[in-house]
Amino acid sequence: MLRSDTVPQMNLTFFLIFLTAIVAGVFGSMLGIGGALVLVPVITLFLGVPVKTAIGASIVSVIATSSAAQIGYIDRGITHTRLGMVLELATSLGAIAGGITAVLVSPRALQGLFAAVLLWAAWGMRRRRRDAGSDGPTGLLDAAYTDPADGRRVEYGVRRLPLGLAFSFVAGNVSGLLGVGGGAVKMPVMNIVMRMPLKAAIATSNFTIGVTAATSAAIYFGRGYVDPKVAVPTALGILLGAPAGPRIAGRLPSEVLRTIMVLAMITFAVQMVVKAVSG
Amino acid sequence: MTPAGPHRSIRRPAAGRRTEPMPPINRLVHRVLMIGLTISATLLVTGLVVWGARGGAALPRSVTGPAQAVRDVGRLRPVGFFSLGLLALILTPFARVAGTIVIFLREHDRRYAVITATVLAIMIASIFLGRV
Repeated sequence: MLRSDTVPQMNLTFFLIFLTAIVAGVFGSMLGIGGALVLVPVITLFLGVPVKTAIGASIVSVIATSSAAQIGYIDRGITHTRLGMVLELATSLGAIAGGITAVLVSPRALQGLFAAVLLWAAWGMRRRRRDAGSDGPTGLLDAAYTDPADGRRVEYGVRRLPLGLAFSFVAGNVSGLLGVGGGAVKMPVMNIVMRMPLKAAIATSNFTIGVTAATSAAIYFGRGYVDPKVAVPTALGILLGAPAGPRIAGRLPSEVLRTIMVLAMITFAVQMVVKAVSG
Repeated sequence: MTPAGPHRSIRRPAAGRRTEPMPPINRLVHRVLMIGLTISATLLVTGLVVWGARGGAALPRSVTGPAQAVRDVGRLRPVGFFSLGLLALILTPFARVAGTIVIFLREHDRRYAVITATVLAIMIASIFLGRV
């Protein structure tokens, strides 16, 4: 068997991607936004992975995060499964309509718009700080769960479902085009617009992002854009890291989670602006 | 390195885990995800072992389709295991959506059966549109 000098180098990169993916998995599942936020910048900037390959791996990371974390969130009864399925309908319709948007709007304009939406959502999340708790049942898709942090029973209903559906449509539409997860939009929308408690929004957002990601991933897989040297350590790292997310998110007070989320969204917005400016 | 991440939540009682029984829909989602991830992780780790045993030779730049992957597994080529493992991961959400349709039909919840069936149809349609 031929062993060139590049083999140890390759294995080091493989291992570093694996370690990055563990961190991405914990972070993404804890916030319900998928692992791409951490994974893509690190592997493209520091590990020299080409952007196209990184997008393939990023989509794989979203599926792995969504699936692995969901096991924990469902165990704890925090996910609103039915609402998740209604939102999936809007998101997947948005994603399939992405082709139309691509003709109408330039990628740079979309990235700019996405950054603006993220900043608006970060601002909205911060403002929700004061009335952080649940707003109580509404008679529409009412649900309840026990908060693992304090053992309190949280009962809530859904508000402004049509607006939430519209945002989910846009999230699916944009995420399909930019190759970024819609989770960073959907999670705040559930919290700010639909007035769901933070933890339920995280768990339910996490539940829905797997569907759009699986569809995109199947397309990428078919086109041969999935590189095993990057996608395999990504998948394994995420599968190892993501189960910790629900545990951490469950125990942390909502206020701490909210602050981390706002910082993550600002970071994401900055990434988008950089992309839009640098092309 | 173990692929046991997803397993742990089943064996060890997690903090704050609910004690009341899960609704059937959640039980199904839980089970489908667990099975899909176990298959995926097992294939990926087996691929790593085979890859290591064969001296860590260079891998192809892309995964292959299922038919070629099965042939590669037969010849003990690591890329075959990797392709099938990633494919199992990608198909898990499809299986999850398909499974929930069955549960909703069984519960005579027509509205949600139609919603989930539409989601599955859109997912499949997107793949065909994306291929063109």
